[in-house]
Amino acid sequence: MPGNPTPGTTEKLPGANTQPRRRLRWISSLLLAGVLLGLLLLSPLIGPVPIPPGVVLSIGVHGLTGGALAGSACSSVAVSARQCAIWTEIVWQARMPAIVLALAAGAALGLSGGSLQGVFRNPLADPYLLGLSTGAAMGASLIFVFRIGLASAYLVLPLFAFLGGLIPGIIVYWAAGRARAVETLVLTGVALSAFFSAMLAAFLLVNPLGEFQVSFWLLGGMAGATWGRAGIVFGGVLIAGGVAALRGRELNVLQLGPDVASSLGVDGRRVARQLILTTTLLTATAVAFTGVIGFVGLVSPHIVRRLVGPDYRAVLPLSALFGGAFLASAWDLAQVVVPAIVLPVGIPTAFAGAPFFLYLLYRRRTPSEGPRT
Amino acid sequence: MTTTLIPAAISVEHLTVRLGTTVALRDVSLSVRSGELLAIAGPNGSGKTTLIRTVLGLVSPDKGQIFLAGVPAGRLSLSARARHLAWMPQEELPGDNVTLFEYVLFGRHPHVPRFGGESAGDRLAARKALDEVGLGDRAGDRTWEISGGERQRLRLARVFAQSTPALLLDEPTAHLDMAHQLEVLERVRRLCHREGSAAVTALHDLNLAARFADRVAVLHHGRLVADGPAAAVLSPVLLQEVWGIVADLREDPRSGVPYLIPRLPPEAPRVPFRTPPLRVHVVGGGGSASPILRRLWERGFFVTSGVVALFDTDHTTAEEFGIPVATEVPFAPLSDESRTQHRRLLVEADRIVVAPFPVGPGNLANLEDLVPFAGRTPIFLLGMASWPHRDFTGGTAAAVRDRLVAAGARSLESPDDLLRELEPSPTSAGTDGAEPHGAAPALAS
Repeated sequence: MPGNPTPGTTEKLPGANTQPRRRLRWISSLLLAGVLLGLLLLSPLIGPVPIPPGVVLSIGVHGLTGGALAGSACSSVAVSARQCAIWTEIVWQARMPAIVLALAAGAALGLSGGSLQGVFRNPLADPYLLGLSTGAAMGASLIFVFRIGLASAYLVLPLFAFLGGLIPGIIVYWAAGRARAVETLVLTGVALSAFFSAMLAAFLLVNPLGEFQVSFWLLGGMAGATWGRAGIVFGGVLIAGGVAALRGRELNVLQLGPDVASSLGVDGRRVARQLILTTTLLTATAVAFTGVIGFVGLVSPHIVRRLVGPDYRAVLPLSALFGGAFLASAWDLAQVVVPAIVLPVGIPTAFAGAPFFLYLLYRRRTPSEGPRT
Repeated sequence: MTTTLIPAAISVEHLTVRLGTTVALRDVSLSVRSGELLAIAGPNGSGKTTLIRTVLGLVSPDKGQIFLAGVPAGRLSLSARARHLAWMPQEELPGDNVTLFEYVLFGRHPHVPRFGGESAGDRLAARKALDEVGLGDRAGDRTWEISGGERQRLRLARVFAQSTPALLLDEPTAHLDMAHQLEVLERVRRLCHREGSAAVTALHDLNLAARFADRVAVLHHGRLVADGPAAAVLSPVLLQEVWGIVADLREDPRSGVPYLIPRLPPEAPRVPFRTPPLRVHVVGGGGSASPILRRLWERGFFVTSGVVALFDTDHTTAEEFGIPVATEVPFAPLSDESRTQHRRLLVEADRIVVAPFPVGPGNLANLEDLVPFAGRTPIFLLGMASWPHRDFTGGTAAAVRDRLVAAGARSLESPDDLLRELEPSPTSAGTDGAEPHGAAPALAS
């Protein structure tokens, strides 16, 4: 080969470049796992009601061990039994399920975003931007609006959310098969999002509900958190994560386009159908309990890709971890930014995510990213 | 024949494909055996890509069947197909910020088990494929950092890494320079001849097809119109019918392979700007008249030329266009015979053009014979600036030239200037009637 090696680029061995990536994967995973653990431990300290940290800790230990350890929950400070019961209620029945739900829902959204970006070969795909979340919220709100009366049953809410999310899911799947331009898909999402938002707002305004307010559904929150709900979302993440992990290598090949992928033995449509279905279900489960939370699904896979490269086998699980950490942090922030007021969690995620979205939108046009399409 | 017992690597039978309302393929039957390189040729839109996509299963045929190693393609799973057949499309996404090595490793996908990662063997195959196309030392670069030609070779490496017994290559040489075109096709041919692969290659370049392919199949409006060795398939009649070109078919003396030299279509249809066309005579030699002859002929003039030597480029050009030309044998002074011939052409000319030809004692007569026409027929002298470099008569020619100029011959720099003089544009119609030489109209009639 008449090659002209430029000075500096000495012998590059295969995998020489992938080795650091692999190490980065482990480092990033451990780092994110550490952050998650930290958030899990520290977040219950945060809330509008001041509770001594020691009490929070012992309530946590007490609850987690089923009372076997840490004897009485409030033994560290001298308080009345009534006060202790209130604190226990707050920490064990509200704060801890809330942070676990935030972690699980964030993971669900991060994983969904990563899967959708892979399926659509579009860095701007995200359950919120494509209208899946809003559709799901609309579906879930139907239960309250029409007083179907089964809202207390755990799985009914996610089921209605799923049915609501399927509408934009199917439309977007159909649109992706037709539209070639990146912007078309995003604009389809914008239209769907706006449509379902309006529908949701109309439902809620016609039928005002005490507990479930417009802001909860449109901007999200952990007010409805219970251990059971957190558990459902967490289980959903595990199942969907399993499905996505099996499809990781196929997602990688799909980035070469559906035809080339097919010539390499990958049925792009089947992968897309399966992952869109899984993603819709996962997003719907999260939305059913937390409302619509934007940008977690968009931001997480991008930052993860920056860290560990484009391999979806790493991007998907790490997006889940990152999404969990992102939403949990946002939830903490939402509780402390304004004293004595808990903001909808969608506000901090939008403040962080929307500028990032614009950055992505404009950065893609610069040549530094190289040719795409 | 024992070979017929081994099923062809790829064969299609009576394939008819409709794309929308157009019939892209009509009753095409074709097969390629292991160890064989088949080139598919045909003009744009003749169905080459459709044929390839149909074999891949990306397009479903309306009629007909596809067999891969004797098995109906429909019976094979997608991944079984991917282990038999590799495809290099004309266009392909560069992947999402992956390295060249990772990109080529995608080619191993059909060989990697579902619940596992790429093995050391897969990595080795990818590495080898990158080396094959000469990109081994760039394995760690990103796909968007390389040039279009390198990306083309990268895609070929991905196909090589797939290690299939059959390959479908759609214009594998499209973005490559000449050296890489030859190299890539040589490698594909070696893969066929040494390792027994079967390759189907859509090629626009018929010379490359003739040189590398064992067989050439020609598609025209979706029909298979020829199939066989290049020497048997390529004929002037086929080229005229399928591609609509007139080409000279020659034989490469070294390889015995046919190659063709297409003739250029004229720049514009030969419509004379007036009828009968103006008769222009070009005095030339040494190739100096060729560009002028070509331009004048294309513009629709009635062109003549002389006196030029046999085998001179100007002579060849004149013959090519059927231009009447006064001829002399090479390396001989102009004979009386050729001068008489020349004068006959000069007399009938409406305009005389003197190309910037080298003047020596042998062809000085070409200039001297113009003297009687000076003042009667408009004469244009081209390339006066170069005169000192091409006057080999020691000044005699310059004296003749000066006499011509004195008698009214005009000096022009380029063939463009000449065309402007010969074809007055409509805007300068006012000067149209004012011929520089009063005698010209009389002679023209």
